[in-house]
Amino acid sequence: MRKINFKISWFSFFCLSLSVLLFWAAPSYSFNLGKILKDVEKSTQPEPQQREIDVTIQEPTSPPPESQQSTGNGGLIGLGQSLGVFDKKTSKILKQSVNTLQALQPIAYKEEKAIGGRLAVEVFSRYGGVYNDPKLLNYINLVGQAVADVSNRPDIDYHFAILNTESPNAFATPGGYVFVSIGLLRMIKNEAQLAGVLAHEVAHISQKHALQTLERSRSLQGISALSLTVMDKNPGLFDKLIDEVSNVLFTKGLDKNLEFEADRYGREFAYRMGYYPGGLQNFIHKLGASKENGNSIFMSTHPSTGERYNRLKKTWSRYKNASLYPVLGRRFLSAFKRPDKS
Amino acid sequence: MHLSIFIRILIFLVGTAILFLPQWVAAETWYVKKSHTKLQAEASARSKVLSKLEQGTPVNVKKKSGKFFQVSTGGKSGWVFRFKLSKKAPAGGQDEGDVLGALGGSQKMAARESASGSSIRGLSPISEQHARKKGATSESIQAVKDMENYIVMPEQLDRFLENGKLGEYSQ
Repeated sequence: MRKINFKISWFSFFCLSLSVLLFWAAPSYSFNLGKILKDVEKSTQPEPQQREIDVTIQEPTSPPPESQQSTGNGGLIGLGQSLGVFDKKTSKILKQSVNTLQALQPIAYKEEKAIGGRLAVEVFSRYGGVYNDPKLLNYINLVGQAVADVSNRPDIDYHFAILNTESPNAFATPGGYVFVSIGLLRMIKNEAQLAGVLAHEVAHISQKHALQTLERSRSLQGISALSLTVMDKNPGLFDKLIDEVSNVLFTKGLDKNLEFEADRYGREFAYRMGYYPGGLQNFIHKLGASKENGNSIFMSTHPSTGERYNRLKKTWSRYKNASLYPVLGRRFLSAFKRPDKS
Repeated sequence: MHLSIFIRILIFLVGTAILFLPQWVAAETWYVKKSHTKLQAEASARSKVLSKLEQGTPVNVKKKSGKFFQVSTGGKSGWVFRFKLSKKAPAGGQDEGDVLGALGGSQKMAARESASGSSIRGLSPISEQHARKKGATSESIQAVKDMENYIVMPEQLDRFLENGKLGEYSQ
């Protein structure tokens, strides 16, 4: 028998080392240009004298004075410009990018809830207050909680309420507050449609659509921290936040792509819970054809019902095997005795 | 000489396989999305409940069967409704959203936060003060407080799902 004199060569050692580097070391580090730029900026700039300076709302459009640009005090970017690595235009773009990155600080749940709670008061004030029907409220909470539990963010509390207005409206405010009007409920035919509508609102919260809009807001650029303590010390800042989100939710509406996304997720959450996933699109179709949608904020702040319906139809193939999932029309009707309109 | 090259290649392949192994194993670890998730004896909502799992509990997925995943965790083995599990530890974000992203271009958030303080209840003092300052009525403020205090008990929701053949009870 031939004896193999086994000796690990440099080649084998190299291969193993390479493997270690590739499969262990590389995934351990993530490259974050924004963080690097910010860190470099921070390390080369003096500490601000007062922390409050961080929460001052800065106008992003005003360029720094000429003298500041030439002193090279702008960290890596300023140094690069002094050494002739970047021209003035490039430096300006890079500095604006750093400012934009600073504006994208996430809003934590406690602050999200404070903003959403304040807006929830506003919803009741603007849209008819509470519709008093304990049985129907319990039903709405059960359907809403069911779809929220299978959403992408089931780990927060969701709260559901019925608004006492005949105008067909539905809202979601950050932090878990969902509203449907009695007028909208009168148009719904079954539980699958209700689940779709509530899930659309839950999707706005789970995907943090209002917060995304807020975090990208130009008026908030330059704010590096947004805590309740900071907001408490700066009532003007909380005013600004509420005005900004109110304007988006009640007047301008969210970006239409966010509405389309909420439609897709809304349908998905209803499907995950076992409802017929076409409920939302059927309701949207019905809403579009209704004479009662004229004064609905649901219409004025959302893309056209036709476009929403068509987009949902286009991506229906994923759900074609769920065509026989329950719609629960009888259960909906037994929970919701439609009062006669006078 | 030929044997030596063979051994070198073999060492490389075995080394790579060993290095990849933890990642393959990790790919089968899922997390419980919400507390009180039921670990059941069989892939049926009507089977015996072995235990209730807390939010964030890692489970090792052994088998996927329809709406249920067979998992093991903490020395116990059982079945969990698949939509109560997530590939990522719960952090208030989107996980299964990738499926939808492929359908229509999911919007990615600029930054995310960890929703660790997910059971904050009650209207924040800053919200109430601001609402009063801006002239909101006590009724509107109370309406939000009532909304927050309304709690659906897990048992009631479970009966509701069973009655409608929904969630883990769906057929």
